Formats: sequence, structure tokens, C-alpha cells
Amino acid sequence: MGNILAIAKRELRNYFATPVGWLSLCGYILLTGFFFSIFLGFYSEQAATMGYDPYGPAEMNVDEYLVSPFFGNANIILLFLCPALTMRLFSEDRKAKSLELLLTSPISTTEIVLGKYLGALGFVLLLFLGTLHYPALLFWMGDPDPGIMASCYLSWTMMTACFMAVGLMASSFTENQMVAMILAFGILLMFWLLGWAEGSLGSTGFQGNLKDVLSFASLVNRTEDMQKGLIHTKDLVYFGSFVAFFLFVTHQRVEAYRWR
Amino acid sequence: MIKVEKLTKRYGATTAVQELSFEVPKGEVVGFLGPNGAGKTTTMRIITGSLGATEGRVTLDGQDVFENPRQVKRRIGYLPEVPPLYTDMKVRDYVRFAARLKGVDDIKGAAEATIDRVGLTPVAHRIIDHLSKGFRQRCGVAQALVHNPDVLILDEPYSGLDPAQRVEIRDLLRELAQEERTVILSTHVLADIEAMCERVVIINKGKMVGQGPISELTKVLGGRTIHLSVARPEGLLDILRVMPGVLSVTPGEAGAISLFTEPGDIREQVAAAAVPHGLLEFSGRQSLEDIFLHLTKTAEA
Repeated sequence: MGNILAIAKRELRNYFATPVGWLSLCGYILLTGFFFSIFLGFYSEQAATMGYDPYGPAEMNVDEYLVSPFFGNANIILLFLCPALTMRLFSEDRKAKSLELLLTSPISTTEIVLGKYLGALGFVLLLFLGTLHYPALLFWMGDPDPGIMASCYLSWTMMTACFMAVGLMASSFTENQMVAMILAFGILLMFWLLGWAEGSLGSTGFQGNLKDVLSFASLVNRTEDMQKGLIHTKDLVYFGSFVAFFLFVTHQRVEAYRWR
Repeated sequence: MIKVEKLTKRYGATTAVQELSFEVPKGEVVGFLGPNGAGKTTTMRIITGSLGATEGRVTLDGQDVFENPRQVKRRIGYLPEVPPLYTDMKVRDYVRFAARLKGVDDIKGAAEATIDRVGLTPVAHRIIDHLSKGFRQRCGVAQALVHNPDVLILDEPYSGLDPAQRVEIRDLLRELAQEERTVILSTHVLADIEAMCERVVIINKGKMVGQGPISELTKVLGGRTIHLSVARPEGLLDILRVMPGVLSVTPGEAGAISLFTEPGDIREQVAAAAVPHGLLEFSGRQSLEDIFLHLTKTAEA
């Protein structure tokens, strides 16, 4: 455990030793702020015209019309950000030959993989701290449901955990950071688009079966309920298995460094 | 102490190391010698457990490197040819990080002692990326030394250093070697081996071509280069060229002659032939360089 934390701490500090960490922090806060202000504007406009609009919603609450859409749409920032944050984890270490320090230390491959994973994941969780002023604003001005808010943050955390696991795996496959990033982004985009494909299919016959499969595999669909405040055990199991699978592949890949 | 048994490593179709066996007793400093691509780094990486062997095994006091990696790695310090540095870290943080990974109990104490030991104190607060090559090499040594290992494996510790840095690192390593440690040092700079090592293991193309104490190797193996100079070289060259045991004769300037001989000592005959021509200088010391060249050439042929 100590070794995992030591490696995680080193990875976490590395983000702040280079401009990468600070740029990501600024960019992330800027972009989420952009999303938040759009949805806030949209929400207040709808709320103002609600009484006069016969086709508009009969009743509105801040959770359904502001919190859920904001968290759901801001997912896409993570899609771009995570591959950029994970690309160097193994690639740089191998290219600079510094991985040799880890490989010749009395630590296990599992500790190396988990350490790097948790360090990178920890960095994104720090980024989330930079978004806490949006909920704070809402709590100050209105009356949102704290449970839903917490559930939304959980959905981000789960999604990031999955994205970072894919990114870590991609990084273990190449010494070239650019290749690692493109590979991770490609895999993530595929999982992202599964949700779209599913939406365009009919619900009967072959299309129905395919729809079921895609809907099961889609990562994004599973965050939707969570962002409404519904936490299903099956979704947690899915996220857990997703992360475990990609970390396992990474582990096997790092073990393979010793055999070639 | 370290026992390498029938070690073979293949990368796909190419064989990097083939059936290599040797032993290093406790406290001995062994030079690991061979031209580039001979399999030195591969062998060292297998000993340190960062690379798996295709066949054969490496044991440290009977413990297999791959069966008990934790116990064995705790006792080995390894300096690869490119020091494994996290260049974005400060020297002190890096050494502490290495200490933690190596399983040291008193991390801060061990890190400070090591920084002091390898002479990094003046730059301990600086970022490794901003240091000179010599200091970086010291960081590499610190990483290998921080857990006070009984075995030190040094892969080309002098590569890329300028002459002043070489001397600094060489003095440091020489001190470390004197502290009851078992050391394996690879290099192709023969002078460094002659200065530090009691024994050499010479490999070429993945195979052992010779091993033993330097003094013994010089006795048994290899030809000898004899340098002499005479006052009147006329005629002497022809005598030397036909002398049994002489492989080549190279005349130099002002009566200087160099000749390379087959294995076996013919210094007396050469000297006897040269005296009538006014022998001025004579040196027939056999150097490691001669043995090295001879052995690697024989292995190729």
C-alpha cells in the first residue's frame, strides 16, 4: 500500500511540476463555467417564460432542468481531457528509461499499475474541486437536492475512473505519447458513440436485440440515471468491471516488458 | 554469491545471450567486458530482475531472482547505462522516492546519508533536469545506493561524461567498491577495469570468451604487444618478421618497433635479437586491451 501511494503521489505531483496540470485546471474550470452559464441562462429564460408558454413544461425544478443537463453535457470535457492526462503515464517513463527504477525495485507490477492509475485519477478529482462553486451558487440562490448533486459528482467520478483506465492501458502499449493519446481517444469515442447508435435503433426484432447490447455496453447511458439521482448497483458493477478489465490488460502489458 | 547459470536470452530470432555461466564471490569487484552489442546490458538487466531470461537462472545466495524478486531486489543496486531519473523532481525528493520504493525503513535518514555520500548536497534542492551530466550520474548512483545494497551492478557508468566527471565518478565508485560490496561493472574502457577490478568476465556476441583474474588471463591467454626501440633498425625488421611466434611487426619512427605475438612468452628471444642493433627501450607488458582484442577476434573467427 505504501508503494502504491508513493507512486501515486509522484504522478500527482508531476502534473504540477509541468504546465500540464495548471493548464488542465484552468481549461477545465473555464469550460465547465461555459457549460454552467449556458444551462443557467437557458434555465432562467425558461423559468421566466414558463407561465406564458402553453407548450412549455408544466412545472420546473432546478435539479431536472439545470443540474442534470449541466453534469451530463460536461461529460464531454472529460472525453477530451482524460487521454491527454494519461498519455504520458507509461510512455514517457519508458522513453526516458526511468521505468527501470520501478522495475528493479522490490515492488510488484500491480503496485506500479495501481499507483500510476490512482495518481492520475486523483488529479482529475482535484479538478472537480475547482467546480464546487457552481453547486455552492445554486445552494445559495435556490434549493437543489444535495443527494442528486452528490450522485452527479459520483457519475463524473465513475466516468473518469473508466476513461483513465483506458488511457493508462493505451499508454502502456507505446513509447509515443501522441500514439497513446490517439489510441485512448479512439477507444473512448467508440464507447461514447455506442450510446448514440443505440438511440437510432428500433426496439423490435434484430434492431431491438442490437439496441439491448449497445445499451448494455454504452458507458454514457449508465451515467444518465446517476445524474438524475438514481444509483443502480448494476451500473456500479459495470463501472467496476470496466476499470478492472482495463487495469488487468495494463498489468499484463507491463509484465510483458520483462519478457521482450 | 551471484551465480549465473546457463543464461540464455532470445529476442525473437536473435540470441542476445547464449548459455552464459559465471559466478561472482562475495566482496569481489568484477569487470564485465565486451564490445557493444555483446549482451552486457541484457545480462545485467536479467540479474537485476528487470528482464526475464529465456532459459537458465540467476541466483543471489541461492535465491532465484525471479522466484523471490522482492528479497533479491532489496539487496541489489542497479545503475543502468541511462540513469533512471525523473527529471522533473528535485534531487532530494527523487532520492527519497527511490528509498521508499526500495523498502528502506528510515527514508529521510537514508536519503540524506546517500545524498551526502555521493556528493549531491550542494544541489539537493535543485530540479534534476537543470543539473549537469555528472550530477545526474550521481543521482543515478544515489538511487542504486540508497538502500545500502550488498550488490552493485553498474552498466557503463562512465558513458557520456567528460574527463573531469569521469575521474569524479571513478573515485566515487572506487570508494564504494572498497566497502565490502560485490560489484559488477560493465564498460568498454579497459583502463577503468584494470584500475578497479580483480577479475574480468569477457563476453562477445552473447557468449563467454574468457574469465578469470586479470593477472591469470594475461598469463594464459592472448598475445602480447612488445614495444622496443633500437639505435640501428636496419636488418632487425627482417629478423623479427621471420621469428617464430611473431604475428606482425610495425616499424615506427626513429627506430621504434611494435610487434604483436602469439600466445606464449618470446620476450627473451626478441630482446636477444635486438641487443646487437643497439636496444634502447623495451616493454612487453601484456595489457587487458591486448587480451580483449585477441579474445573477441578469436571468438569471431
